[in-house]
Amino acid sequence: MKKQLRMALSAGVTFGIVTIFLFLIGFTGISGDLLADLFGNKNAAPFLGLTPQMINMIIFLALIGLWAGSYGSRKSKGQTDDPWAPALIGGLTAGLVHGILVGLLALLVGILNLNQVPINMYLAAVLPAAVKMFLLGGSPVQGAIFHLILFTLTGFLGGLLSRGIGRGSWRVRAVANWKNAWDRYNQKPFIKKMRGNPATRYVIYGVLVLLVFMVPLVAGQYWNYTIGTVCIYVLLGLGLNIVVGLAGLLDLGYVAFFAIGAYTMALLTAPAPQHLMWSFWIALPIGVVLAALTGLLLGAPVLRLRGDYLAIVTLGFGEIIRLLSTSDAMTSFSGGPKGVPSIAGPTIFGEPFNSGADFVYLIFLAAILIIFVTNRLQNSRVGRAWEAMREDETVSRAMGINTLTQKLLAFAIGAAFAGLGGALFASRNQFTGPEDFTFMVSVNVVAVVIVGGMGSIPGVIAGALVLKGLPEVLRELQDYRVMVFGALLVVMMLWRPAGIISSSRRKLEVEKDTGATESPKEGSEK
Amino acid sequence: MTIALETRSLTKQFGGLTAVDSVDLAIQENSIFSVIGPNGAGKTTFYNCITGFYEPEAGDILFYGESLVGLSPDQVTYRGISRTYQNIRLFANMSAIENILVGEHSRIRGSWLEAILHTPRVVKEEQQAVEKARELLNFVGLVGLGDQLARNLPYGAQRRLEIARALGSQPRLLLLDEPTAGMNPHETTDMMHFIRRLRDELSITILLIEHDMRVVMGISERIAVLDYGAKIAEGTPSEIQGNPRVIEAYLGSGAASGLDNTAAQPA
Repeated sequence: MKKQLRMALSAGVTFGIVTIFLFLIGFTGISGDLLADLFGNKNAAPFLGLTPQMINMIIFLALIGLWAGSYGSRKSKGQTDDPWAPALIGGLTAGLVHGILVGLLALLVGILNLNQVPINMYLAAVLPAAVKMFLLGGSPVQGAIFHLILFTLTGFLGGLLSRGIGRGSWRVRAVANWKNAWDRYNQKPFIKKMRGNPATRYVIYGVLVLLVFMVPLVAGQYWNYTIGTVCIYVLLGLGLNIVVGLAGLLDLGYVAFFAIGAYTMALLTAPAPQHLMWSFWIALPIGVVLAALTGLLLGAPVLRLRGDYLAIVTLGFGEIIRLLSTSDAMTSFSGGPKGVPSIAGPTIFGEPFNSGADFVYLIFLAAILIIFVTNRLQNSRVGRAWEAMREDETVSRAMGINTLTQKLLAFAIGAAFAGLGGALFASRNQFTGPEDFTFMVSVNVVAVVIVGGMGSIPGVIAGALVLKGLPEVLRELQDYRVMVFGALLVVMMLWRPAGIISSSRRKLEVEKDTGATESPKEGSEK
Repeated sequence: MTIALETRSLTKQFGGLTAVDSVDLAIQENSIFSVIGPNGAGKTTFYNCITGFYEPEAGDILFYGESLVGLSPDQVTYRGISRTYQNIRLFANMSAIENILVGEHSRIRGSWLEAILHTPRVVKEEQQAVEKARELLNFVGLVGLGDQLARNLPYGAQRRLEIARALGSQPRLLLLDEPTAGMNPHETTDMMHFIRRLRDELSITILLIEHDMRVVMGISERIAVLDYGAKIAEGTPSEIQGNPRVIEAYLGSGAASGLDNTAAQPA
């Protein structure tokens, strides 16, 4: 009981602080507007003297209150039984503490506001109008009492809902039933045969790929452009995944290899400044090879460094490439700050690509190739050596791994993927310049790998979709886009700290799909 | 009998500190040889010299007559020396069987290009490697745990997995660094039997660093004692137990003269 109270108390304090913070940055007011957009009730008539924005804000705060109550009523670790009373008291306590904290805030800002203290000079978001809205137009005391009651009630309700619905006995039964049904379904001979058959997997992959290939046909030009960008980030993410996710080498200058691929494509195919105008198909492999060679050249001296030192050196290298491309000395060679326009697009049998969809297909093919290669590498002697280096470099040397060679290999292959991405990127945009290769690109690619899931191919794909695709989807939210995006990232990292789809180990001891014949040894060991 | 490993006045210095001081050892093939000594005597440094992590300042290390000085750790492993660590150092986020497969790294050849193309040779080699890893799991008694992450294994299993990983490189000489550290008496006895099995069934020469005198005296055929980097004694377990210099190193001067020899077994 005491433990439950302590947990509820800390839940109340935590949520109180979060709510206060949300008010201080002005988010409680924004939430009213956001929900108004969502419900479309912006211009609805006032109800009981409350504007639609106020009602929306109450809904938003009530949701937080419910969450606080549910959090405050949770079971402590290792607790097996789950009685009603502590859960309800937990929810109520959390709600009460939450309400007291927010009520005090309402009282404080309300009184300050009445005395004409210009709070917004210190906290830009706390405008008199925002305070008025927070107090629902009432006096400070009325506002404080309102918040106290709101959070206490919702806290209790949150505890009730969480215990009754979230952890009720009917739910346990339902989950068990569902699991039984699933097991029975898996035991059917036909299903077992299908699962054991690799052909099934290929058919599923084939259907998925087909579905994905339908998308560019129905998507408009804008969405095709976005899909292309996402896929290029998949290429970059998978390349960096080898370097960071598998080999454990933190490379913060990954954009350099992207730039080398892009500039190779640009200088070899554009009419100016080099007048070469080679074909796209010749420039593409040259870009990839050049990027890989640069990876080797850079790697040879710096890969002896470990951890943070390597990160700093690679970061510097990325900046050197970008600064070189903007420098006057290089203007006659690579176009300088103005960049390189009129980069050639690909042709097939002399026919140029004429729709955005064609290029998306090309990028799809590149992405599939890279996924294939990464998958093969990851499950090989080389991939295992990389992961061993990530886990413990010293021991991996003692296990007979030549770490320098393996690091160089990881660096070069990662760089090659970035080169491919860069070449495709430059050709699709038909223009490239120094501003395409800022440090932020490296940061974004690292974020794709980390948010997606280090060392996991589906994770990196999901990461690219979320980090590059989601901002476009969120464009509907206009001004709040970046803020909502940031909040989503924070929530995601709290929810799945190992990434959206974290890497899983291949089953090697007991072959997959023969699990039906349970090995007798396994049973006795466990 | 062939000498598996020989060191000739091996010396390793860190600045002014001589961590290993002209140590001469000769380890018979197929024997169990222990190196003991008080904390900081230079035992682990000695291991690091043999395995190529440190380059000795003077002296030579001969493995079946071939000098190991100047070789990198992976080259030493390739020649047939493998080791375990005092504090378990598994690849924590890889499965048990993958840990062993990493151990087999130096015995398989597949390059990155072959891995991408899945050439028949590399596919076959990979199958054999997994088969070998399963055998090793079986040998160390971890059947059924192969697909668990190494960090999720119980302590004793982690110790045995570390040995299985070392065996993956098919060593002729295995260096064990306190294999029974942190084990209860029952587990320690198991480990002693297991070390004997390694030698008897796989014909591997064992070099052992150990603090537990029951283990050292119970399974070693010969023992060398290091103190302040120098070898102060070498002999059979019974010779070492009675050696006054060893007792002095462990218990301080005066102990040897003040106590009856039989009562002063270092423990």
